[in-house]
Amino acid sequence: MRILVVEDEPDLLASLAQALREEGYAVDTADNGDDGLFNAEGTDYDAIVLDVMLPGLDGWEILKRLRKSKKTPVLMLTARDQTRDRVKGLDTGADDYVVKPFDLEELFARLRAIIRRSANQTTNVLEIGDVKIDTAARHVLFKDKPVELTAREYSLVAFMALHRGEVVTRTQLYEHLFDENESSLSNLLDVHVSNVRKKLGAEFIATRRGHGYCIE
Amino acid sequence: MKMFKSIKWRLQIWYGLILVGVLLGLGITAYKLEHDKVFRHTDNELQRRVNVVLQTLHRGEQQRRPPPRPNDFDQPPGPPAGEFDRDRPPRGPEDFHLQPRDEVLFDAAAANGYYFVITGRDARVIARSTNAPTAVMYVEGPPATGKLNRFTAFPQLPDDRVKYGGGQFKYDQFPSNGVPAGQPFPPYSRGTFREVEIVLPTQESILVGRNMVTDLAELRLIALQLAGASLVILGFGLAGGWWLVGRLLRPIQSIGAAAVKISAGDLSQRINVAEAESELGQLAAVLNSTFARLETAFAQQKQFAADAAHELRTPVSVILTQTQTALNREREAASYKQTVEACQRAAQRMRTLIESLLALARFDAGQEILRRTRFDFSKIIGEAVDLVQSLAEERAVKIISGLPPLEITGDSERLAQVVTNLLTNAIQYNELAGEVRVKLETRSGLAVLTIADTGQGIAAEDLPRVFGRFFRADSSRTGAGNTGLGLSICKAIVEAHGGTIEVASEVKVGTTVSVRLPI
Repeated sequence: MRILVVEDEPDLLASLAQALREEGYAVDTADNGDDGLFNAEGTDYDAIVLDVMLPGLDGWEILKRLRKSKKTPVLMLTARDQTRDRVKGLDTGADDYVVKPFDLEELFARLRAIIRRSANQTTNVLEIGDVKIDTAARHVLFKDKPVELTAREYSLVAFMALHRGEVVTRTQLYEHLFDENESSLSNLLDVHVSNVRKKLGAEFIATRRGHGYCIE
Repeated sequence: MKMFKSIKWRLQIWYGLILVGVLLGLGITAYKLEHDKVFRHTDNELQRRVNVVLQTLHRGEQQRRPPPRPNDFDQPPGPPAGEFDRDRPPRGPEDFHLQPRDEVLFDAAAANGYYFVITGRDARVIARSTNAPTAVMYVEGPPATGKLNRFTAFPQLPDDRVKYGGGQFKYDQFPSNGVPAGQPFPPYSRGTFREVEIVLPTQESILVGRNMVTDLAELRLIALQLAGASLVILGFGLAGGWWLVGRLLRPIQSIGAAAVKISAGDLSQRINVAEAESELGQLAAVLNSTFARLETAFAQQKQFAADAAHELRTPVSVILTQTQTALNREREAASYKQTVEACQRAAQRMRTLIESLLALARFDAGQEILRRTRFDFSKIIGEAVDLVQSLAEERAVKIISGLPPLEITGDSERLAQVVTNLLTNAIQYNELAGEVRVKLETRSGLAVLTIADTGQGIAAEDLPRVFGRFFRADSSRTGAGNTGLGLSICKAIVEAHGGTIEVASEVKVGTTVSVRLPI
């Protein structure tokens, strides 16, 4: 899962990015509106955390321009909790909002929810054959037994499960599992796929030669 | 009683009392005038009839006993000897013959006709009209007044008549057409009868009276009519007064209603000013403008509080996310140090904000005390320029200053704060490698400091708001030191010194701030 955080307060941006990375997300950051819009338009993020008050383009403007080309779920960070601000945000195309100051737990939960909704999933628990994935608790059960996955492996499983039935290309996987600063080797993805197959059964992830991978 | 304390009721009661007083006065006066008119008329008629009876009586006696010849020059003029002598034979009915033309004066058929009774010395009735009430036989004097007694009446006569006992009373002194001059026999009322009794020196008495029952009934009717009319007028007056007072007080009621709503917290209420011309209309207009000012002040306060809370949200967010992230798992010491440093920065920012807010609140409340001294303003400005020099070098901004020595009176520390703040703005919002020109001069008795930059300028529509609280040119927080309160505080400080601060700006050319201070 790859997320863009646009926030101009450096200490807030740093800690948000760190916390999200520790949650297993790949995180890109931008500290002004222009960079934020550039990133948001150039990459398929799973979600964007967008502050309203920014130097350069403000949050509303970024959202308005982004919605012309992309449906990426957006979580607005606002310092004003007045109804008209919330209404404005939701009407402009925001998927949800969080009012500052917020608790990280709440921010994470809302982020999970907008990602899940954008993939047309309604619950936190996905069942695929013998595999059960709880996206809230970040637990994976195989034949009712907990399976230990690394953060990256979990992200791979969660992303593929969200896009169940679709063929996911290697490029997509790279885009969604690694952030812009990671110089990942191309075979790193194969290593993660192979490790997941070992833990959850070889048939869990099917290979479509020349196209990518798929979870049936 | 709450009701009677209301202005409306009190006005109504006073008004009603005055109206009742006026009507009573008028009514009583009108009744009295009417009453007096009736009685005066009756009394005059009584007098007239007394004269007629007197003359008739006199004439009868003369016919019976002709007076001595008046051209008898041997005799002194005066009453004939023995005429008023107590010993002369009493007059009887044969002496009284009412002439036919006088008979109409005593109409026996009329219920309110006049009557007469002539009584002799020994209470014997000499003559009486047929309609005379028998109850007037008054040997002991008229019962109603009791004052008048023909025997005691004598001493009240003027001296010449009192001297009758000496035989000097002159019959001629009775005017031929009237009762004795200065007559002491006033008419009196006895029940429904109005009577006058003349006691002659011969102790004979003439009583003329009239039953006034119909006149009294008429007077009663008039009294009733007056009372009725008064009541109707009072009723209309009270109703009209009630309507008028209500109408006059209606603006007060609407003022009161608006005030109640405002005190309940609805500051948008206004009094409906229908009659702007009246005194109350003017009062309402004054109150409305007061309410409008109150509402604006409240809205400003509310906005200020909301802005202040809003400004605190970001540093609190920093502390929350930093600490929650740090506590999520075990970390190395260096990581904790970073977290603590970030928290410290956030806390510093909040402190700056709180101090600025408190300073502004003190200026607003007029509680900020300036420590005024006499000092060289140019020196303070020079120090401020030195202070911001490193910031200017960071942005390659050149500061050009022309500072002739100029002594002013004020709080040097506060004014240094103003200058530093303005210089920092001029550098921060300047172009890279721009210029800041600082000039101090004396103009029309004022110290004028101008700080001009070559920065991006401020849009014309933003200019009126630059001294407003939490105004920022680019709607975001740039740097922890920028609270958005700096210019507000500058303005407060300068105005506390009795000076003015102005901003002129042109987009993409630069901004000039002028501070004028009394020397």
